[in-house]
Amino acid sequence: MIEVSEIRKTFGSVKAVDGINFHVKKGEIYGLLGPNGAGKTTTISMISGLLKPDSGSITVAGIDIGGKSGQIRKRLGVIPQEIALYDELSGRENLHFWGSLYGLSGKKLREAADRMLELVNLTERANDNVRDYSGGMKRRVNLCAGLIHDPDLILLDEPTLGIDPQARASILKIIRDEATSGKTVIYTTHYLEEAENLCDRIAIIDRGTIHAEGTLRELTELAGEEDVVTLTGNFKSGVTKEILSGLRIDHLEDGMVRFYVSERETIGMVLNKFFNSGVSIENVSIKEPSLESVFLRITGYELRD
Amino acid sequence: MKNPIAIFLMMLVPLIMTLLVGLVFGGQSEQKLPVIKVLFVDNDGGIISGFLKNGMQQDTLAKMIDLKIVDADAGKKLMEDGKASALIEIPENFSRDFFDRKPVEIRLVKNPSETFLPVIVEEMVKTMVVLLDRAAFVFAGPLDMARVLFDSGRWPTGDEIKKILEDSKNGITLAGGYFSGSLITFKTETVSDPTDGKRDVEFNIFAFVIPGSMIFGLLFISEITLRDLVRERGAGTLQRILVAPLRGVHVVTGKVMVTFCITAVTCIIILVISAIGFGVNIGRPLPLIVHFIGVILMCTGLMSFFYGFINSERTADAVMSVVIIIMALFGGSLIPFEQLNDTLQAIGRFSPVYWAGDGFKQIFLMNAGLADIAMHLVIVYSIAVATLLPGGILLEKKLGRGD
Repeated sequence: MIEVSEIRKTFGSVKAVDGINFHVKKGEIYGLLGPNGAGKTTTISMISGLLKPDSGSITVAGIDIGGKSGQIRKRLGVIPQEIALYDELSGRENLHFWGSLYGLSGKKLREAADRMLELVNLTERANDNVRDYSGGMKRRVNLCAGLIHDPDLILLDEPTLGIDPQARASILKIIRDEATSGKTVIYTTHYLEEAENLCDRIAIIDRGTIHAEGTLRELTELAGEEDVVTLTGNFKSGVTKEILSGLRIDHLEDGMVRFYVSERETIGMVLNKFFNSGVSIENVSIKEPSLESVFLRITGYELRD
Repeated sequence: MKNPIAIFLMMLVPLIMTLLVGLVFGGQSEQKLPVIKVLFVDNDGGIISGFLKNGMQQDTLAKMIDLKIVDADAGKKLMEDGKASALIEIPENFSRDFFDRKPVEIRLVKNPSETFLPVIVEEMVKTMVVLLDRAAFVFAGPLDMARVLFDSGRWPTGDEIKKILEDSKNGITLAGGYFSGSLITFKTETVSDPTDGKRDVEFNIFAFVIPGSMIFGLLFISEITLRDLVRERGAGTLQRILVAPLRGVHVVTGKVMVTFCITAVTCIIILVISAIGFGVNIGRPLPLIVHFIGVILMCTGLMSFFYGFINSERTADAVMSVVIIIMALFGGSLIPFEQLNDTLQAIGRFSPVYWAGDGFKQIFLMNAGLADIAMHLVIVYSIAVATLLPGGILLEKKLGRGD
């Protein structure tokens, strides 16, 4: 459905996107997982035609978006990170406006708006001004505005940013249903659990580059079968190296160490060695193989909400 | 139209501004009138021309009029250089002919580059002529006696003065309404303007102040409408519009057309209120419509051009108000152009506001035709073309770049 090849985008001296490649199949939910500033929004903006890549190509259903973006845009549904709605209009009026930009009109437009409002449980508040909506309600209308014209390819840029769990669950369900009905979805997020639970395939993106890509299973295999153990205490790095000899250390400094163990019993043995050498351990953290540990392993830092 | 109420409220701003300026200036017109530079060529040197000359240098008139006595050649030269609003020329033997009750004529030359000041002088001279003319009939007897004294070259005796005053009193009592015929006439000319004399519009202070404040308001309404582009960019709705199957040129054209329409509707409302509410003569339809379209295009073009360089609402806040106020200040929107000194007037002629506002003044006050405002039209339409096209291209490029 969509093929992204070697796209690059630079703003001044900052390389926002630096040679990204991926493809997404029809009906698939493809996640771009990364922290703020990783290049997710720039990538979405280039796919939607809002920004022109400095180099590289993007094709949707075999059509280069650089050449015939008008044709492609009708098939795209873009849900931006900001709540891009007119506050002074009602939810229904907003949907009518955005739908009309995609050629909907008359009865077809009214029906589509009513259907979307029902989908997000906003029928009763449809005629209230958007400025009077809660954050979650605005997010839901924001989503509807991108879906009202029934697009084939849906681009969602952090659509659940800053909303309550209930509204988030509602939005994620809608996205899942869209994909089930054959729509292709590209979803950016910095929430690990969203990527884990929603996406068929995930790309870990950081500093404008995709570092790893695959299904959740494929990615966790990258992290191996090992648990990630993090210890903090009053130990010196020299002593720690000796105690952890034979184990794979990811990060070591005075007072903190992160290492991998393939068997849980090893952790007890390591802790005993620390206690016997007179070192006090303040905190022990064990993480099973997960997207979080994959992210940690690939980027060297944790992705926090 | 996304929100008609918001647009209506937005249109109220220039309307209220125009009305306020109109009321402020209209209510205190005497205090606000500028000093009028008038040249006086006295080819007569007699009592009556002296009376006219001194009359214009007394009390209230002295505050309004800066009268300069010149000879005919110097007067002609100064008028040709545009150094005065009007020239009054008294012919030779004016006083003698007046006493002989022979027809006499006062010549008034007006400066065509000024709109209303020459009209004030014209009205003033008209009034003086009427007074003198009526006096010639009412005081025919006393004037004959005065004529004898005038010719004799000696001071009158007490009895002679008493006799003149008694006859004058009788003349006033008997005059009633039996006036007929005119002894004194006056002829109006305009420097290098052969069409003059066809115009006959009563001076209305609102017709003088409304054009400037209207242009000021129209620039603001154009600015506010185009500001939506940066406001929407900040809110993210512009980006959302741009990912829809629309080209940047469609978005820009739509926005510029909306700006044109809102500015035009605002202008029409102001014109209607001016005509109905303030009794302003809005002139002949053709020049009014042609100038109106040019001014709306110019306002839209100027704002499109400026917004081609503006990326954020904050920049717009900092820049646009200042730009509009400077153009309005020098163009005569805030202070009547005629009250600006020569240097500021010279600068003001580079302000689009001057040509737009003065065009309307000519139409309102002088009943000007297309030929009379040809220069205004050329300048206004040139500015419109020179700003609208580059402005549209700049805006479209800006959208295309995703700035």
